[in-house]
Amino acid sequence: MSSPCCGFLAQYTHHHLVAFLLTFFSYVLLHASRKTFSNVKVSISAQWTPSVQNASSPAFSPGETWEENNLFADSDGATLFLGVLDTIFLFSYAVGLYMSGVIGDRMNLRYVLSFGLCGSAIVEFVFGTLTEWLQFYNIYLYCGLWVLNGLLQSAVWPCVVAVMGNWFGKSGRGFVFGLWSACASVGNILGAFLASSVLKYGYEYAFLVTSVLQFAGGVVVFFGLLTSPKEVGLCLESETGLRPVEKDADSHRPLMSDEEDEEGSEEVCDGGYYTIRQGDEEPRETPKAIGFCQAFCLPGVLPYSLAYACLKLVNYSFFFWLPFYLSRNFGWKEAQADRLSVWYDVGGIIGGTIQGLISDFMGKRAPVLAVSLLLAMGALVGYSHSPPDQVVNAALLATTGFFIGGPSNMISSAISADLGRQEALRGSQEALATVTGIVDGTGSIGAAAGQYLVSVIESKLGWMFVFYFFIVMTGCSIVFILPLIVTEIRAMWRERRARAQEL
Amino acid sequence: MTAGSSQRNAAVALLIFHLYLYGSYQLTELQVCHLCNRTVQNSTALGQFCSASAGLVDGCCCLLRKENTSNADYLIGLDLSNCSLSHVEDLQEASTAAMIDISLNPIVQLNNSLFQGFIQLDNLILPVNLTCPGGNASWNKMEVKGDTRHCEGQKDICNQTGHLSLNCPENSLCAAYGPGFFECSCVDNFHGYKCLREGKFPIIKVFGILGASTVLVSILLWVTQRRKVTSA
Repeated sequence: MSSPCCGFLAQYTHHHLVAFLLTFFSYVLLHASRKTFSNVKVSISAQWTPSVQNASSPAFSPGETWEENNLFADSDGATLFLGVLDTIFLFSYAVGLYMSGVIGDRMNLRYVLSFGLCGSAIVEFVFGTLTEWLQFYNIYLYCGLWVLNGLLQSAVWPCVVAVMGNWFGKSGRGFVFGLWSACASVGNILGAFLASSVLKYGYEYAFLVTSVLQFAGGVVVFFGLLTSPKEVGLCLESETGLRPVEKDADSHRPLMSDEEDEEGSEEVCDGGYYTIRQGDEEPRETPKAIGFCQAFCLPGVLPYSLAYACLKLVNYSFFFWLPFYLSRNFGWKEAQADRLSVWYDVGGIIGGTIQGLISDFMGKRAPVLAVSLLLAMGALVGYSHSPPDQVVNAALLATTGFFIGGPSNMISSAISADLGRQEALRGSQEALATVTGIVDGTGSIGAAAGQYLVSVIESKLGWMFVFYFFIVMTGCSIVFILPLIVTEIRAMWRERRARAQEL
Repeated sequence: MTAGSSQRNAAVALLIFHLYLYGSYQLTELQVCHLCNRTVQNSTALGQFCSASAGLVDGCCCLLRKENTSNADYLIGLDLSNCSLSHVEDLQEASTAAMIDISLNPIVQLNNSLFQGFIQLDNLILPVNLTCPGGNASWNKMEVKGDTRHCEGQKDICNQTGHLSLNCPENSLCAAYGPGFFECSCVDNFHGYKCLREGKFPIIKVFGILGASTVLVSILLWVTQRRKVTSA
C-alpha cells in the first residue's frame, strides 16, 4: 500500500505544492472577507439604526451615542437591505463569472487572479472601513460598491480552478480537488474567527483586517504563482502505472465520458488532455480558447449547472444567514453564533474530501452525489428541529454540512475540471476556466435568487418554511442530475456484468 | 467747569475700566443674565443664597469666579422672577445653576426638556400653576408657598427602584441628568455609537507584522518559483 501512495505523490514537485497552496489560500482569503460581511450583520444593523425604545419611554440621551444614525428607522429595514445587498452581490458575481471564465482562458491567469484579489480588497476596504471612518452612510454607495465587489471577486474562482486543472491531472483528481475545494470552507472558518475576534473593536476593523489580508494575498500570488507546468518546462505527468485507485485500463478516460478507450494512445505534454498523436504529423498549436456557447453545449455542463444552482442556493443561504438565524432564533450572541456556524464548514470540508475520494474509487461521480443529497434532505429536517442546545446544534450543523457541502464542493471543483477537460475537446481548446465560470455562474444566479427569497419567506412565513424551501431545492438538484445518474449507474452495471462474464 | 470735566474723566475712566472688566469676562457674556432688566436683590431667596455662597451678581445671575480657570464664570443661581416672561425657551446657559427662580411669571407651560442637563439644580421656584419637572420621583420636597411652588432636593433617578425601571442598554451606565432625566454613558473602555466598541485596535502592530510577512513570502516564492520561468 505504501509504494502506490509514494508513487502517487512522487509525480508531484514542490511547484505542485506551491500552486496548490497559493490557489487554496487566495480563495480562502476571498471567502474570509465574504464571511466577514455576513458575520458582522448584527453590528452593522445596530450602527445604521437608532436605539429601540417602547413608545412611552423617552429616547436615550446623549443623542450622539444612541439616536443619531438613522439610515434605517428600525432593524427590520436594515435586515431587508442587508438581504438586498447579498442578492446584488451574488447577481453581479454570477454575471462576472460568465465573463471571467472567458477572460481567464484568453489572458494570463496570474494577472487576472491578482487583479481580482487586490481590486476586491480595495472595494471592501472602502465599503466597510472608509464609510465608517468618514461616518458617511449611503444606500446607493453601498449597493454600487457591492456590485463592483461581485464583479471583481468573480475573477478568482475560474482562475484558481484552471490553475489547479493545469497542475493536477486525471488520477486522484477527485481526491486532490476534494481536499482543495475545502478552501471555501476554510475561508469561512478563518473569516468567522477573524470577525469574531476583531468585532469588539468595531465592525470596521473586521473589514480592515480581511481586506488588507486579501490584498497581501494578491501581491503574493502575483510574485509567486506559476499558472501551469509548461511555464517551467515541466510536463503534466502521465498516469501510466501510477494509479492506486483505478484498476483497469479505463482509467485513462475522464470520469464523465462514455467513449471507448483508444489503443496505443500516447500521453503527450499538452496540459493533461488525453489525445492521440500519430507520429509528428500535426505541428502543435497553442490551444484556442473555447467560445461561450460551445462550452455551454458540452455534454454534462447544463444539468450540472442547474443542479449546482439549487445546491448553491442552500449552501449560500446557510453561509449568509446562519449567524443571523442562530442569534435571532435562539438568542445567542453574535460572536457565539459566528463560532457555531464554523461547524457547517467543517462538515463541508470532510464531506467534500471523503466524497471525492469515494468517487475516485468508484470511477463515477453522480451516484455519490445522489446518495449524499438524499441524506442531506433528512439532515435538513433534523436541523430544523434542533433543540436550543449548542452541542447538539453543532453536531447537526456538521452533519448537514457534510451532506450538502460535499456535493457542492465536488460539483464546483472536481466535476467542473472533468467537464472542462473532456474528450470532446480533444486538446484543441482551452475550456476549463470557461466551463468553471458557467457552472459557478449559474450556481450564483440560483444563490442570488435564493437570498432574496429567504428574506422574504422568513419575514412572511418564518424560519420553518425557509427550511422546507431548502429541502425542496435539494430535491430539485437531484432531479436535474437524474439523467446523468441513470447513465452512470447503467454503465456501472454493464461493467460489472462484463467482468462477471469474464470470470 | 473743572468739576464737570473731572466728573467726565471719572466717567470715562470708569467706562474704560468697565469695558476692561467686561472684556476680561470674554466670551462668557451670558445672554440669560440679561433677560430681566434688573439685578438680583438681597432680599429674595436667591439673593440670600448668592451672598451665602460668596458669588458675584451680574444681571439676574449669580456667578462664582473660579480661581483655576481663567475668567470662566460659573453660574450658580438665576433669578427670573417677576419678569413678565410668558414662556421660557432655552436656559441651557444656566445648566450649572443650583438655584433657579422663575416664579411670578405668566408662564402657561414648561418645555419638557427645559431642565435637561441641570444636574446641580437643588432648588427650583416656579409659578404655582406649574408642576415640578420630573414629579414626585425627582424631588425630595415639594411645597406650595403662597403663589410660588418650591421644588427642593433633586433626587438621582438612577438610584431608585419602583415602577420606573430605567434600563440603560448594554455597556452603559445610568447617570442623573437633571430632574426626571437620565443619561446613559458608556462604561469604562467602551466608546462609540451605542457603546458597541471596546478598546483600541493595535493597527501598527498588526499591519507591521502583516506587511513584513507579505514581503518575505513574496520574495521567497519569487526566488523559488517564478525565477525559473522559461516560456512567456
